[in-house]
Amino acid sequence: MIFKKRCDVAIVGGGVCGLAAAATLADQKLDVLVLDENRYLGGQVLRSLPWPGNASGIHKIFRSRPRLVDKTATPSVTILNHTQVMGIDKDLEILAEKDRKEIIGIRPQMVLAATGARETFVPFPGWTLPGVMAAGGVQTLMKGAGVLPGQYMVVAGMGPFLTAVAGLFLKNKGMPTAILDFGKRADTCRLLVHGFRQGAKILEGVRNLTGIFLAGVPCRYRTMVVAAQGSRELEKVVAARVDSLGRIIGGTGKTYKTGCLATGWGFVPNLELPMQAGCSLTHDPDLGGWVVAVTHDFETSIPGIFAAGEITGIAGASISMIEGELAALGILKKLGRNVDVHRMAALQRQRKQSLSFSTWFNRLHRVPDAVFCAIPDTVLICRCEHITMGEIKTAVEKGYDTPAMLKKVLRCGMGLCQGRTCGPVVNRILAALTRRSAEAFPVLPVRTPVKQVSVRSFLR
Amino acid sequence: MTRNLRIPGIVRGSRIQFFFNGREITAFKGETVLAALMAAGIKTLGVDPHGKGRGALCGMGVCYQCRVSIDGRPGRRACMAQVRAGMVIETEKDLP
Ligand SMILES: Cc1cc2nc3c(=O)[nH]c(=O)nc-3n(C[C@H](O)[C@H](O)[C@H](O)COP(=O)(O)OP(=O)(O)OC[C@H]3O[C@@H](n4cnc5c(N)ncnc54)[C@H](O)[C@@H]3O)c2cc1C
Ligand code: FES
Repeated sequence: MIFKKRCDVAIVGGGVCGLAAAATLADQKLDVLVLDENRYLGGQVLRSLPWPGNASGIHKIFRSRPRLVDKTATPSVTILNHTQVMGIDKDLEILAEKDRKEIIGIRPQMVLAATGARETFVPFPGWTLPGVMAAGGVQTLMKGAGVLPGQYMVVAGMGPFLTAVAGLFLKNKGMPTAILDFGKRADTCRLLVHGFRQGAKILEGVRNLTGIFLAGVPCRYRTMVVAAQGSRELEKVVAARVDSLGRIIGGTGKTYKTGCLATGWGFVPNLELPMQAGCSLTHDPDLGGWVVAVTHDFETSIPGIFAAGEITGIAGASISMIEGELAALGILKKLGRNVDVHRMAALQRQRKQSLSFSTWFNRLHRVPDAVFCAIPDTVLICRCEHITMGEIKTAVEKGYDTPAMLKKVLRCGMGLCQGRTCGPVVNRILAALTRRSAEAFPVLPVRTPVKQVSVRSFLR
Repeated sequence: MTRNLRIPGIVRGSRIQFFFNGREITAFKGETVLAALMAAGIKTLGVDPHGKGRGALCGMGVCYQCRVSIDGRPGRRACMAQVRAGMVIETEKDLP
């Protein structure tokens, strides 16, 4: 059975960006629908425990959550949670699946895509062993369920997010075995300088770093994991020092015993939905690579579809919130409503200030090509279709050197995750092997549905 | 023996039991299947076509590495499904 709904504005994604937009639109009494595949609103940053009575629980600094969620608790905002958006067609009609059993068609006047970001990785031998998890996955487990992944944990990868995850783990009586950061120690210090502009972030950063220092957790910089080992599950992590180009320095190997490794190398935007809808992308390394191209008012190349938050640039929570409000004002303008131009200008100014943080953040996360070239042949790159680095290298040598060709000859990215995990990695590997810029490798297009749908929904 | 991996001092939902490969496991209403399994010290959620164990990666519904069969329905993401009393969860062996 297909339900049809009408509304003024449909917002896909109930993270900080989507919620900020919903709150602004609700002020103008517009009929707003927020769709999110999660059971609880808040997206990645505002994720919190599902049980009431824990308000000031594990992450006090995100005070904005109750405010944002309260503001959207008005009759003009309808929340459809546990709802996956599968596609948006030319007439802006949205197709979604609720609770894995109901197909819903929505006809809004305007759409805001605020689908956020996911993590990206640098694969290494043994990264498929149970016990190796994404740093964000571990954060989600702690923030969203109050569960530690283990008693001990190595946190490895790149950037300030590692400190955040290790800090949260420590605060909840976990014991980080070590923090292994590809970046320089100086980068961590610079974070504090940039953090000054971002209020809450600096506090959180200082608190985490102090805690880690006081607990005596070893922090190794210019260090990366070369292998995760264990017979059935993770037992130990081998790491080595690297030079500034990411080449491993011989004789520096060190082994850490642990059943849990949290690894993260930064974030990539969830572009599947805007791409399916036909929105143009643009490539800007300072925004994190491929992002949705938008106007000053956050309208995409498809009239009536707006985009904001992490999908228009990897930039962190504060800027996503600003962009959410700006996009809402853009939508109001397009609908012919009066908008507060002073508010708009002030937000644009705030956004510009915060952009310096994101530029720094994205430059920091630019992993040198040598790191991708050095991935051993036996390492699995596409987990779903079981494709190794060696197979990719052989295909590239034969001239199959674009993501589309690899998909055809190797089925790389054709699995269940539809290339969400390996796609960004494969693009980096291709750029490194062929010595071309990442811009030469477009993101592979996706078709409707952009999410797996249960057959039950269609049969109903 | 693993220590209790649930962070203390948190108000949780009611206590429930479910089954993982026949073993009875305690969880709390509102937890995801992944959280409940991780809290019980279980990391291997499936077996890949080459006989190697497979566990959760992203924890947020992106990677499909946490697939398990839930009450006979295959391919459910443990990180997205909520645990329920009496649920029967089994690891899956992926066909080659
Ligand atoms: C795991 C992880 C941890 C992070 N931790 C931090 C942190 O600690 N601090 C920080 O500053 N930044 C963090 N970030 C960066 C973070 O993405 C942004 O700061 C912030 O969450 C962006 O807000 P947003 O609203 O743009 O996206 P999000 O908060 O990611 O919200 C997007 C929402 O859209 C939903 N969605 C996406 N696609 C669909 C679809 N097709 N159908 C239905 N719903 C959909 C998602 O479920 C999600 O709830 C993290 C990112 C990740 C991936
Ligand atoms: S752990 Fe990635 S989808 Fe569940």
